[in-house]
Amino acid sequence: MTQTETAAKKSAAKKTVAVKVKADATVATTPEPKKAAKPAAKKKSGLAFPFTAIVGQEEMKLSLILNIIDPRIGGVLVMGHRGTGKSTTVRALAEVLPLIERVEGDTYNRTVEQYLENEEGKKGAKAIDPFTIRTEKIPVPVVDLPLGATEDRVCGTIDIEQALTSGVKAFEPGLLAQANRGFLYIDEVNLLDDHLVDVLLDVAASGKNVVEREGISIRHPARFVLVGSGNPEEGELRPQLLDRFGLHARIITILDIGKRVDIVKRRREFDDDPDAFMKKYNREQLKLQKKIQQAKDLLPEVTMTDSVLTDIARLCMNLGIDGHRGELTITRTAYAHAAFRGETVVTMKHVKEIAGLCLRHRLRKDPLETLDAGEKIDRELAKVLGEAEAV
Amino acid sequence: MIAFTDIVGMDLAKQALMLLAVDSELGGVVIPSAVGSGKSTIARAFADILPEGTPFVELPLNVTEDRLIGGVDLEATLATGIRVVQHGVLSKAHGGVLYVDSISLLDSSAVSHIMDAISRGEVLVEREGLSEVHPAKFMLVGTYDPTDGEVRMGLLDRIGIIVPFTAQNDYRARKKIVNIVLGTRDEDDTRDELKMLSGLIQAAREQLPHVSITKEQVQALIQTAISLGVEGNRVDIFTVRAALASAALAQRSDVEEEDMKLAIKLVLIPRATRMPDREAASDEMPPQEEPPQDEEPEAEDEEAPSDTPDAEAEEEQKETPDMIEELMMDAIEMELPDNILNISLASKKKTTTGSRGEALNNRRGRFVRAQPGEMRGNKVALIPTLISAAPWQETRKRDKKMEGRPKTALIITKDDVKIKRFRDKSGTLFIFMVDASGSMALNRMRQAKGAVASLLQNAYVHRDQVALISFRGKQAQVLLPPSQSVDRAKRELDVLPTGGGTPLASALYLGWETAKQARTKGISQIMFVLITDGRGNIGLQATFDPNAEKAPKEELEKEIEALSLSIQADGVAAIVIDTQMNYLSRGEAPKLAQKLGGRYFYLPNAKAEQIVEAALSF
Repeated sequence: MTQTETAAKKSAAKKTVAVKVKADATVATTPEPKKAAKPAAKKKSGLAFPFTAIVGQEEMKLSLILNIIDPRIGGVLVMGHRGTGKSTTVRALAEVLPLIERVEGDTYNRTVEQYLENEEGKKGAKAIDPFTIRTEKIPVPVVDLPLGATEDRVCGTIDIEQALTSGVKAFEPGLLAQANRGFLYIDEVNLLDDHLVDVLLDVAASGKNVVEREGISIRHPARFVLVGSGNPEEGELRPQLLDRFGLHARIITILDIGKRVDIVKRRREFDDDPDAFMKKYNREQLKLQKKIQQAKDLLPEVTMTDSVLTDIARLCMNLGIDGHRGELTITRTAYAHAAFRGETVVTMKHVKEIAGLCLRHRLRKDPLETLDAGEKIDRELAKVLGEAEAV
Repeated sequence: MIAFTDIVGMDLAKQALMLLAVDSELGGVVIPSAVGSGKSTIARAFADILPEGTPFVELPLNVTEDRLIGGVDLEATLATGIRVVQHGVLSKAHGGVLYVDSISLLDSSAVSHIMDAISRGEVLVEREGLSEVHPAKFMLVGTYDPTDGEVRMGLLDRIGIIVPFTAQNDYRARKKIVNIVLGTRDEDDTRDELKMLSGLIQAAREQLPHVSITKEQVQALIQTAISLGVEGNRVDIFTVRAALASAALAQRSDVEEEDMKLAIKLVLIPRATRMPDREAASDEMPPQEEPPQDEEPEAEDEEAPSDTPDAEAEEEQKETPDMIEELMMDAIEMELPDNILNISLASKKKTTTGSRGEALNNRRGRFVRAQPGEMRGNKVALIPTLISAAPWQETRKRDKKMEGRPKTALIITKDDVKIKRFRDKSGTLFIFMVDASGSMALNRMRQAKGAVASLLQNAYVHRDQVALISFRGKQAQVLLPPSQSVDRAKRELDVLPTGGGTPLASALYLGWETAKQARTKGISQIMFVLITDGRGNIGLQATFDPNAEKAPKEELEKEIEALSLSIQADGVAAIVIDTQMNYLSRGEAPKLAQKLGGRYFYLPNAKAEQIVEAALSF
């Protein structure tokens, strides 16, 4: 977790939402949008290693970036060798994320529309004039879900302190609330306890979190990009959860000596003087951030021809992939990939570069198959491409 | 009290701890050692050589999640009405040492939390309405007896130094130990020695920022890591840091050969997965895969000179990476002439790792936590239930909805109910023993592989594990140690040699050993799945002595009978699947099933699914 997030989280956690007073609290007189909020003060220690300074592991980096460009891709699962920078990369992500607009101080990071829908839907709520709602810009939140989290902290619960001191039942939002419209990261996701997996599957499917406790019922939006990482040798991931991830990036030990020397050098430099190191990469960080924002802006203009769509469908069919999530993911990811490249028309070249990421975990596992999933996808892709070129 | 300087033998362990004292970024030291070799004494004595006031926290093996991570101090919270936070063991060790004795026996969820804390340098407390970040940067010192099992690889990966396993101290050392224990050593001596050591470490800490390492040396260390087949890139950083710390301890400003040797010995060799191949080592430079190198080359050239401030003074620094690497290979071979892989942890990981087959459940095992749940069919955790009801009593009593209820001292609602969760290694271990001799072997192996993988696909649900033993030639061999990972199974089963004799007895013996090991790890249900025609023709003797004479047939039968009875007596279930064509069969397989007290299936040309079905039907 980055410092920005940690700080934001702390304030968010303190801010419990008294259920009834909520509507008045946010009413303000000036409707003019506020300037982008300054990022919270950073502590000296615990700076995250900059994203752009991470050597290699392009597959993982691309997966994460594409998910920023289009969160509907459905997240990414990063599986691979130990000590290859999986969690470093995910935690570095926060610094290159764009800003989003939310209702000022809203613990659920809601947009004005979501806020209105939510608050006006409540029993006895008055109509709120949308022009009285103030908004602010915050970096896309990245929320860390540690393995030891308890269910009440994940979903939210009644604030015990307030209950004890004033007898007021106030809802204290959990990690799912903080992660709304952002990223939810689980390291060692394959070791996550079953009951938390159940909660996640439930919320990921509905996009909503419902908590009922002490006679009050809270419902809030909880749409997030799920990012998981782990080492496959520590255990298998539950199939339903595996299916939830849009992309599956694989990561292996880098064997190139030059790159490895670079990793050591950069890491030492960073450890010696994090601030100076951050400064050195500042320009690249900003450049990437801008590039991502541009891709986000470009995304609505990107188009795909029917023939590319047909090829995608044929690829999934030939690979025997069940359901339609495969096609959908490829299509969305290819759009985002094209946008990231600054192009407005999706071609099979884009598809080719991301097909492995989208399909690797959706192939039926054939125990006797010696071919690697990636190779199999490439082979089928070549067939489809061959056919496509022949036409 | 025995001081650090008093500890005799275990020189490598001492060196390792000194390096850690110089550079805490090395993360920690793991010391595998036999019982009674003083491993825990040395770890505790480690505190003496650290600067005064450095926290030293010992982690009890039966630590619960909330003690480890921290949480709400309910007693104080209820008493004061203000949320009172209780720091966990991990954050208490911040800035100091976290010591775990018998670290290989640590519960897998505790290991996960420690891993997480190490990689973040802090603990995220997301529990019981609490959301806090506690700093938790500590050095982990773990000791264990390898016969208890191995430490999880994920954890080892985050710890810089692993001391090579040492079994015995020499005779002179022993004599000294006796003297110390009898108290014949002068206490003043000890104190002076300790002071000297502390001073040495202090000086080394100050020297550390001034030590430099050349790019060639870094390359050589990395090349060594690659040659030894060490997984991951994090280890490179540890290796370099260890070499720097070693130079700092010697008050040098440049890393020298001996520093690199020590780093290789303490960081890389224990993680080796293969013997370095001298011939191949230099060819093994993998092809440059991607081009993104282009972002940096000029920068590197500019910085190179700063790495070697006095290049002329140090002649040897002009050595090429290849030459240095050659040197390293010499070092490895000299230090550890034979059985390098026998002492490395990487080869021993083949036993099992902690997390597999372990599941939280609601009925049996060790109580780990209480969580909300249905009362029906579960064990209610009474105290947590009462505690969770307590804060609401006032408001509930005022609540109109509660009015119809009978007046009770406590109003407890469904929401309050907390049930007990237990951690248990449940599930069944299926040990496949596949006859890989003769002509049908290839087919049998394929079927067995299929069955293994297919069982593993569903293993998730039942927490089952699968192991695979093949037998051919002189002896049986564990191809896949008990595992739950499909990926791992696939990888290990890639190469399957076939042909040769049928060492059935050896297979039974090895299976029995595997079963016994699994038992010590809490797996109670074990099943042998033998895929064979039951005609063993190589005796157990051949397993231990390749030159043993071929045993007569009666002896073979006796061996198998004795083994089978022992296995049966141990409560291991068994099925025998005969895939031989009927006309060739002489009824050995049904007999084997009978001896094992198991069932016999005749499935010529068995499909993987049929084998799975047979195994599960039992």
